[in-house]
Amino acid sequence: MTDTVILNYVTFIYFTSFVLYLFRMIFLKEFWARLASFLAWTGFFAHTFALILRWKASYNLGFGHAPLSNLYESLVFFAWSIIILYLAVEWRIKNKSLGAFVVPITFFTMAYASIAPGINNRIEPLIPALQSNWLTTHVVTCFMGYAAFTVAFGCGLLYLWKSGKEAKYSPMFAEKLPPLPALDLLIYQSAALGFVFLAIGIITGSVWAHYAWGAYWSWDPKETWSLITWLVYAIMIHARYVRSWHGKRLAVLAVIGFACMLFTYLGVNLLSSLHSYL
Amino acid sequence: MSKSKNVLRSFFSSIKLTIALLVLLVLLFMAATFIPRPYGIAWLADLYHSPLFYILMGLLSINLIICSINRLPVTLRQCKSTHPPPSVLFENLENERIIFTDKIDAACRAVDASLTAKFSSVKKLKTAKGIIFYREGGRFSLFGVYIVHLSILIIIAAAIIGSVFGLETDVHLQEGESASVIQLNKDKGPYQLDFSVRCDQFVVEFYHTGAPKTYRSDLSFIREGNVVHKGSVLVNHPLTFEGFRFYQSSYGISPETKAVLTYTTAGGKSTDIMVKQGDVFQLPAKKARATVLRVEENIMQLGPAVKLSIEADKKHIQFWVFQHIKEIAEVNPGLLSEVPLFNPGLFKPLVFSLKTIEKRYYTGLRVVRDPGVPFALTGGVFLLVGLITIYFTAHQRIWVLVEQQPQRVKISVNGISNRYSTSLAGKLNRLRQRISGEIAT
Repeated sequence: MTDTVILNYVTFIYFTSFVLYLFRMIFLKEFWARLASFLAWTGFFAHTFALILRWKASYNLGFGHAPLSNLYESLVFFAWSIIILYLAVEWRIKNKSLGAFVVPITFFTMAYASIAPGINNRIEPLIPALQSNWLTTHVVTCFMGYAAFTVAFGCGLLYLWKSGKEAKYSPMFAEKLPPLPALDLLIYQSAALGFVFLAIGIITGSVWAHYAWGAYWSWDPKETWSLITWLVYAIMIHARYVRSWHGKRLAVLAVIGFACMLFTYLGVNLLSSLHSYL
Repeated sequence: MSKSKNVLRSFFSSIKLTIALLVLLVLLFMAATFIPRPYGIAWLADLYHSPLFYILMGLLSINLIICSINRLPVTLRQCKSTHPPPSVLFENLENERIIFTDKIDAACRAVDASLTAKFSSVKKLKTAKGIIFYREGGRFSLFGVYIVHLSILIIIAAAIIGSVFGLETDVHLQEGESASVIQLNKDKGPYQLDFSVRCDQFVVEFYHTGAPKTYRSDLSFIREGNVVHKGSVLVNHPLTFEGFRFYQSSYGISPETKAVLTYTTAGGKSTDIMVKQGDVFQLPAKKARATVLRVEENIMQLGPAVKLSIEADKKHIQFWVFQHIKEIAEVNPGLLSEVPLFNPGLFKPLVFSLKTIEKRYYTGLRVVRDPGVPFALTGGVFLLVGLITIYFTAHQRIWVLVEQQPQRVKISVNGISNRYSTSLAGKLNRLRQRISGEIAT
């Protein structure tokens, strides 16, 4: 149970980090961003440690499976994927303003995992449908895709926010944010990364479905929605590459794609689905 | 004629059509998942077998093929006309891409050494302007997009092959029962297998938490009275025989399940009566007949029970006989008088009790034959290879121009990439530094 205790602290750390990223946006002092970033890294290391502990705990209980088997574990892993990808992007673009848009999503995911009604954080053995080597590959690739889409969404929000504010504020303010063309490129690159990961996720899912359900594709709502999400990003990539869509249009597509992704992940459970265990 | 042909071709080769088709498909998929099947509009409820869906997939395929064919010559030209460089390449070059030195031979040696140390094939060309060194890498990257588009077509083909030549159905087999004729789904009628399949045993295991652990059917495949193959089917572990795949898809309690009943009379206890659903047996009093309506392993979370219907003297009564009626009555005082349906002594003076239930399972197998699977797998592999080619490789071309100017020798470094220009810029900077280093030594 130590892992869940650590994860509760991690949720709090992410929240504090998010608040500090906000401070940076308001006061325009890099000091706050450095502190926020430090906390995000701390949260990430504690988060990773908790995941390893949970994995080990499942072996000690005699079940022995990766912590990816129910809604609680998938939310925790989703938050982990977002934060690792965000920190990688922050390190690469050397600008910390994106944190105010992405870190809150990590925090909300963790908070939802601990307070959502009917959520079960116990480590449980795998039901027969999940006893497959494809579980880990399928879930990890899908969530890496989801995380990349989340970063694209954060960039999209920042883009829309900045292009809306630019007229009103001093150039000093705009200088503290990444230039619009760089954001535009980042939206595209994150979306493309998510597109590749989701493709791998869908392919591994199909292979698994072939062994588990007897059909590699059965138009289950989750399958259909993952295809919808994939197609939305396919539209985005083609519109940019061939029709030269840039800037606001791309940012709006990143928001729409993110909404589809969220529905694929959580909304589909409202419909009857073979993926009811997630 | 040729004009209308052109109109048609330009319609199908437009990327606008692709985007419109994709948007339409997305909207249709959304609608189809939201509208509940039994009440929905007929064609939308079965969208994936509707003419509209076939037409859209057909249009998308034609669009994909024509777009790719139209693009191919451009790509091939890109592939061939790499050498010499575009004329503007060395105009207005930033200073950090230029080196000045004094001896042309030394300069050429340094450039050659730097390029060959880093890349395998380096071409050299003497032009009026000067000597041009050239290397090219990742030409394959240009074809990634074709691989992806081809993979989509292969997957669509796989779906067509599967729906035309494939079949799937669900078969319920009780332990010991065998089947050689299967009833196809979608009212396609019976299908005669040239073997028969028998369920020898069905096993369900639970964890101590009560969650299911294993569902397993032990099957035998029989041909001309001989067992030719034996094997177990588990969830996630199907069994293949003669091109048919057998999947564990459901299970249940068979109607053949036997219940062991007794009743007490004034004269004492009756002998054990073995009954299954639908059985009728005589009772000693008033020429009564009892019919077994249901045999349940666990009804209303109250454990095993049998529903009896007793006819005597034109009277007709029904009630449940629970195996654990004592415990149930203790937890719910007054139950037997309030709910006569729960009273095993309703038919006076007999009091029934259920000793045990001898469970027999049936297994629900899904039987599938889909010749489209290898195609779908090929499509998936192509899709993966194509995407990786597009996003993780780049077609990069680098030129180095060495020219003799009146007082000095000028070395210019530049390149073109179809993707990731920042990575190319880094490469060019490193190359320039290396050349400077070579010259210095």
